[in-house]
Amino acid sequence: MMESLGYFFMSWLDVKMLLLTAAGTFAGIYIGAIPGLSVTMAVSILISFTFKWDINEALALISGIYLGGVYGGSRSAILLNIPGAPAAIATGLDGYPLAKRGEAGQAIGLTTVVSVYGGFVGILALAIAAPAVADLALMFGPREYLLLALWGLLLVGTLSGQSLSKGIFSGALGALIACVGLDPMTGENRLTFGSLQMSAGISYVAAMIGFFGVAEVIAQIHQLDLKPIKQNVSKIIPSWGLVRKHLPLATRTSGIGVVVGALPGAGGDIAALMAYDHAKRTVKNPSRPFGEGAYEGLVAPESANNAAVGGAYVPMMTLGIPGDAVTAVIIGALYIHGLKPGPMLMIETPHLFWFVVGSLTLANIFLLFFGLTGIKIFAKIVETPKPVLLPLILVLSAVGAYAINNNPVDVYWMLGFGVLGYFLKMYGFQVGPVILGMILGPMMDRSYRQAMMATNNDGWLFVTEFFTTPLSALILAAVVFTLVSQTQWWKRLRGLN
Amino acid sequence: MHTSPPRLPGELTFMALIVAFSAFMLWTSFQISKFDSISSPGVFPMVCSALMVVTGLMSLRETWKASPGADANQSVFQQFLVQLAPLKLVLFTALIVAYMLALEVTGFLLSSYLFLVLSMQVLGSKRVVLNLLVSALVLVCIFIVFQTAFSVVLPAGSLVGPYTPEWLK
Repeated sequence: MMESLGYFFMSWLDVKMLLLTAAGTFAGIYIGAIPGLSVTMAVSILISFTFKWDINEALALISGIYLGGVYGGSRSAILLNIPGAPAAIATGLDGYPLAKRGEAGQAIGLTTVVSVYGGFVGILALAIAAPAVADLALMFGPREYLLLALWGLLLVGTLSGQSLSKGIFSGALGALIACVGLDPMTGENRLTFGSLQMSAGISYVAAMIGFFGVAEVIAQIHQLDLKPIKQNVSKIIPSWGLVRKHLPLATRTSGIGVVVGALPGAGGDIAALMAYDHAKRTVKNPSRPFGEGAYEGLVAPESANNAAVGGAYVPMMTLGIPGDAVTAVIIGALYIHGLKPGPMLMIETPHLFWFVVGSLTLANIFLLFFGLTGIKIFAKIVETPKPVLLPLILVLSAVGAYAINNNPVDVYWMLGFGVLGYFLKMYGFQVGPVILGMILGPMMDRSYRQAMMATNNDGWLFVTEFFTTPLSALILAAVVFTLVSQTQWWKRLRGLN
Repeated sequence: MHTSPPRLPGELTFMALIVAFSAFMLWTSFQISKFDSISSPGVFPMVCSALMVVTGLMSLRETWKASPGADANQSVFQQFLVQLAPLKLVLFTALIVAYMLALEVTGFLLSSYLFLVLSMQVLGSKRVVLNLLVSALVLVCIFIVFQTAFSVVLPAGSLVGPYTPEWLK
């Protein structure tokens, strides 16, 4: 216990870690707030620079960026009516009308407080649930991992986009990209077309920077002329009465955030939309009608998306399955640092887990401080003209991709994935599932073959064991339900269409 | 009533291309170990690419059924250029390609500086002096931070590298 506490406070007592967490949170808020710069993009680019660092230092920085970035999106949603991040789409629905009424300061203040509150709920859930889930995960075999990875891929594919087929296509594409190179079990070349370069595989960091950095930069060219409407901001710190009034709703929606965030493949964007929908359905007397500046419309999504951060860490730390695109990137970083997320990570290196919990808590405290200050600098940074900003991101992306192996080939892959990502986005495909596919693909491949070999390649036995093992049957039911619930047939049945 | 969004210019071609690519990858995956064993290295890539073929075909069908974006005065290619590949975007992408290729030849500092200045100009930042100054300032910051804090070795360039002072490499 005392040992865990020691690891928890490690980042609090070390000046370097403290500064890195603060810098990460600060950078996260501003990166998340600038429309077009996503937190996934920031983590993807920055992570490649931390490969030579100590893992604790890298994790401290990433924790700050992640929490700050999820929150930062709300600022531009309220002030400019442009969500800085997808998780802040719901925030703008009521945040911007509030700003137009001259209540931007109060809206930002309340958003900050409930975000921090949601963040704490998520971290608490992580601290309590992760050790229990890790114990449970020790019972998992290759079959369960195969199903969990499949579930994660289906969830992200189906929940994050309009089209089921496009979502599944993206996930399968990512899994296929991950197959390129030497087969880890037999050493056989797969999809390398005889190229020595491709035998080493495709760096997923280069792919991440391409899909989230370059593709986004190219797509932003369509919005070069978008002029934000400036708002006057006064009195940021919200009154205690305003906060207290909304705490019960924030508690409920934080719970939604934790659960949705913990679902493999879901994440803050979906948590925020579900929480907003929950508030609309359950709050009988909002401060104003929803969509016209209801404080409840800010509280629900903002507490949920920050709570989802802690939730997303649960499957990442305990099962090695990403909760969302950012945790997929973080898993990639852990692999490069020689760590293998999963139940054994929790058992063999518990200090790492408690260090992460401590860093997230510290980042959340910094979030409160940075969230309630520096609004004037914020306005200046967010208004940086895109013709200046976009080339800078491109240079950073190129440096990030090059830094992985000091190899220009990674830069070319990044560019290729960037152009592909642009067209995928324009034609309605989500790029998030591609990255999740790249992380989950190898796990599915390995688990499938291990499970099959355990049955001596007996296909019938392999299939029947999904139904005869209770744990497998339970996860299989969840997978089938996820798939069925996205079909037109189910929607017609529920009267949703 | 559920209505699908109108078809974007080039969308049908893109969908057909991804189906063709998926089919090619299915064939390539099949070649890895054919049907040697149910747990052979080729099975998973085959499943992934087969899934891509199926979902690609479903997306192609959805796109086929969607109504084309209405602008009878322009050809699909013209609409594509306007909506998906406007001149600024094409020029900027060309600059990115040139920058990536130049990195190894002219080195990080020179190629990045030229890329920054030219792309700011292309994207519409008309204040030339400001562009020159901002690019230089930002590049100095990036160079110092990444060389020192992140220990990233940036490409010195095969062409200019031999003539660059050691502290700038």
